[in-house]
Amino acid sequence: MHCDINDYKGNTVLSLSGEVDMHSSPMLREKLLSLIKNKPPLLIVNFRDVSYIDSSGIATFVEGLKHVKAYKGRLQFSELPQSIMDIFSFSKLDKVFEICGNLDDAVGR
Amino acid sequence: MEEKRPLTAAEEHLKSMEQKVEDLRLLMDVSSIISSTLDFNELIGLVMEKAKEVMHADACSILVYNKETGRLEFEVALSCDEASGEILKKHVTLGLGEGIAGWVARNLEPIVVRQAAEDDRHSHQADSMTGFTTKSMIAVPLVGRSGLIGVAEILNPIDRDQFSDYDLEIFQALCRQIAVAMENAVFHRESLEKERLKQELELAATIQRSFLPPLPIYEKGVLRVSGYTLPAKHVGGDLYDFDEPVSGKVGVLIGDISGKGVSAALFMAKVISDFRYQMHGNDDPGLVMNRLNQQMSNTPRGMFLTAMYAVADMQTGSVKISVAGHPPFLWVSKDGIKVMDLEGGPPVGIMELDYPSNELTLGPGDRLIMVTDGVFDAKNSEGKRLGFEELVAFADRHRQEDRLTDRIVDFVIDFTGDEDRADDLTIVELRRMA
Repeated sequence: MHCDINDYKGNTVLSLSGEVDMHSSPMLREKLLSLIKNKPPLLIVNFRDVSYIDSSGIATFVEGLKHVKAYKGRLQFSELPQSIMDIFSFSKLDKVFEICGNLDDAVGR
Repeated sequence: MEEKRPLTAAEEHLKSMEQKVEDLRLLMDVSSIISSTLDFNELIGLVMEKAKEVMHADACSILVYNKETGRLEFEVALSCDEASGEILKKHVTLGLGEGIAGWVARNLEPIVVRQAAEDDRHSHQADSMTGFTTKSMIAVPLVGRSGLIGVAEILNPIDRDQFSDYDLEIFQALCRQIAVAMENAVFHRESLEKERLKQELELAATIQRSFLPPLPIYEKGVLRVSGYTLPAKHVGGDLYDFDEPVSGKVGVLIGDISGKGVSAALFMAKVISDFRYQMHGNDDPGLVMNRLNQQMSNTPRGMFLTAMYAVADMQTGSVKISVAGHPPFLWVSKDGIKVMDLEGGPPVGIMELDYPSNELTLGPGDRLIMVTDGVFDAKNSEGKRLGFEELVAFADRHRQEDRLTDRIVDFVIDFTGDEDRADDLTIVELRRMA
C-alpha cells in the first residue's frame, strides 16, 4: 500500500493505492490519526488505486470515523473501484461511511 | 652493575615485530571468544573487556544505531564504571553528525582524536554526566551487511599519552570482528523473538479453538447443523456456535472479528461468551444482535464483528435470521441455489441501530451455507482471489452432493495451493433433513 496526502480545493485528501490489509493497516492508522489530530472539518480518502481492503483496513477507518465524529467532522470516501464498493456493500458499511463519486462530489456535499 | 645499553635499530625492529605478533595473537583470541556467543548482552560484555585488554585503554563504549529514531544509543559505556554506563544508557543519545561518534556514523570513517579537549567535535555531555574525562580516543564505525550497526569507541590509553595510527589499525581489525559478531547476535535475538511470538500465537489459536462447540455437528428434530473452521497462519477471528436458546429451537451463529492475531483471538473469546449469555431464553435473533451491539459499542481500535445469527425451529424448519455486515449466505435446494443478501445492518460494534430479523422456511433437504470472507477472499500463488461468484458457481455445480461443505473446503484449499492462508475460513451448514 502507498499513501499520499494532498490538498484539493482547500481540503485534505488521503490517496491510497494497492492492498489495504493487516500488513499495511498500521501505517495507514498512523497517517490517518495524525491527519485527524488537526481536526479537519472534511477529510477525504481517495480509493481510486486501491485493489483490496480487508477487515483490518476497515477497522482502521472505523476508528478514524469515531474520532472524526467526536469533533463533528466528516470523513468521506471517494472514487471507490467496483471491487471495493462490493466489499462495502456486502458488509453494509455503505450505511456507516459517506461514500461519493469523485473528489468534486466529496467537496461539494 | 651492568649498564642498560640502548637498543640497536635491528633490535627495535624485532621488538616492534614481536609486539605486532602479540597483538595479532590477541586479536585472534578475541575473535574466537566473541564469536563463541550469540547472546547479545554477553557479547557486548566480552567485547568491552577484550577491547580494553587489546588496546591497553581505560574505557570502551559501544553505541548502537537505532534505525527507527536515526540516533546512536549507548549500549554499554565506560565499562570501568557500571553506574556511569547506566547513566549514559538511559539519558544520552546522539544524532548523526553529533559528537565524535555521530561524526563517525555519518561519514562512516574512523577517527583518532589525540587530544579530545582540543577537538570541536567532541561532545562534553557524556563526560559531564559521568565525571569521566576523555583525553584521547579512537572511534570506528561498525558496519555490517545491512549497513550501519553502531560506533565503537576506545578511550584513554593507559601506558601512553595518546592513541597512534597503529592503535587505529588494531582497533579497526577488532571492530570488524565486533561488527560481524554483533550482527549475528542481533539476528539470533530476532530469531528467538520470532519463535517466541510464533509459540504464543499457536497457544492463542489452541485456546481460541476451545471456544468453539465441542462437537462440530448438532442434530435434533428435522435439523442438522455442522461447522468447520480452518485457521489461518496468523490467528484470525472466525467463530461459530450453536445451542438451544429455547426448547425446540436451535440458534446458529457465524462471525468474523476484524483483524488478526492475539487481539482478534481475545475479542473472539469475549464475543462468544457475550453471545452465549444473551442467546439463552431468547428466540429473536435481531434482539440478540442488538444486545451484542450494545455490549460492543466501545471496542478498541475500531474492531468490529461481522455476524449472522439464525434461530431455526426443529420441527417446522422455519428460520429467523439477523445479519450484521456478514457476507450473503447460500440457500441450496433441489431446484437450485439462491444467494441470500438479506436486509441487515453494518457489523456489530460500529454504530447504534436496530438489527431486523428476516424469516424463511426450509423445505425438506434444503440447506443454508454460511461462510466467512476467508472462503471467497482466499488468494492463490498468483495473487488472484477466488471471488464470491466463483464460490457460488462451484456450490451450484455440486449442490446435489451430500458433503457439499467438505467439497467447498477442498476447492478453496486446492485453489490456494501451498500458500499460507492469510485468513481463517469457516463454513456452517444448517440443513433440514426431512
